[in-house]
Amino acid sequence: MQSMSDFEPKIVAFVCNWCTYAGADLAGTSRTQYAPSVRIVRFPCTGRIDFMLLMKAFENGADGIIVSGCHPNDCHYTSGNFHARRRWIVFRSLLDFIGFDTDRITFSWVSAAEGKKWATLVNEVTEHIQAKGPFTDLDKLDFIQLKEQYDEAITK
Amino acid sequence: MIGFKEALTKQPVPCFIEKASDVEQLIYTEDCKNNLSVYLHKPEVRQAKKIGILANISTLRALVQLISENQFWDIELTVLTVNDLGEVLLFDTLEAVEAYVQANFPNYTEEEIKLLGYLESLSREERWKYWTDQFANCIKCYACRAVCPMCYCPQCTVECNQPQWIKLSAQTTGNLEWHTMRAMHLAGRCINCGECGRICPVGIPVHLLTVRMNQDLFKEFGTRSGYALKGDYALNNFKPDDKEGFIK
Repeated sequence: MQSMSDFEPKIVAFVCNWCTYAGADLAGTSRTQYAPSVRIVRFPCTGRIDFMLLMKAFENGADGIIVSGCHPNDCHYTSGNFHARRRWIVFRSLLDFIGFDTDRITFSWVSAAEGKKWATLVNEVTEHIQAKGPFTDLDKLDFIQLKEQYDEAITK
Repeated sequence: MIGFKEALTKQPVPCFIEKASDVEQLIYTEDCKNNLSVYLHKPEVRQAKKIGILANISTLRALVQLISENQFWDIELTVLTVNDLGEVLLFDTLEAVEAYVQANFPNYTEEEIKLLGYLESLSREERWKYWTDQFANCIKCYACRAVCPMCYCPQCTVECNQPQWIKLSAQTTGNLEWHTMRAMHLAGRCINCGECGRICPVGIPVHLLTVRMNQDLFKEFGTRSGYALKGDYALNNFKPDDKEGFIK
């Protein structure tokens, strides 16, 4: 199916080393074809993922984010993903309250054996973000960007 | 002894008494809304070792939360309050403070409920516009951090500069980072005194962020800040069967 635009989304994935990263690796070694839009950032555990990193990814040009780790009860460090889950519940609610588009952030549990699930997930998220379009909420917010636009408008 | 005294302006100001004869200065009126527990972090106050504090209900709640975070290990605290009938109560033990707070647990103010209700009625885009407009006004004075009794870290996250974690300049994106980070660090610890919203020099309702966080945490995990001396911080604990609907 041809996509509506040729907008290539930038998806940043924050994944845990022991499950999702291994799962993504399995997708690779199985030669599964999936969208090349994802940039994977490897963490020892989802419990290490600082919530500010998600916001910073958007500030630095991401259009969508995937956060993924070991299934509950399967964390390599026993309870990291449990703490992460609580943190995500709270942070997601805060982002929604501020008006941030939480639809652009996808959370999932992908284990080391679920290479196919990883590929499907990335494809789904890519399609979803393509349909939503590039992330522009943070553009035009700061003075420097506004000044550039002002200068450009003046010189026309 | 930390309490309130009269000043030239209508607003009572904090006062610090070291001699018994100065006790005449102390007053207590409806305008004594400030949270005095923030002074208990100052080294010049703590070196007194034995400190008395005249607390309103928000301050009492702050004291319970700070005790649950083990912040008064080196001082002997005597707590007084004035109840609705105007009687001065002296608490014998910290457990008595906890019992009083639990019996008189303050609700959200009408104004907070109204503002939160209004914000929740807006669409996501309208909420984004509202908050980015508010944060465009922020001048990064960090008064909200200075006045908060729960912001006592000797080195705040904003001081992390290798790499510069939170942008320093007072531009909207950096302000968004600061306020989001602060709301998360206070989620479940904020005791709703409203000081941060009151003190903001440009009128941003900063307290709404943490009030909303507290509401969420109570709804999701049943925890409350400043309620029990033992403490129950939602982000420190977990249950293996925490429920959420958004993880694929």
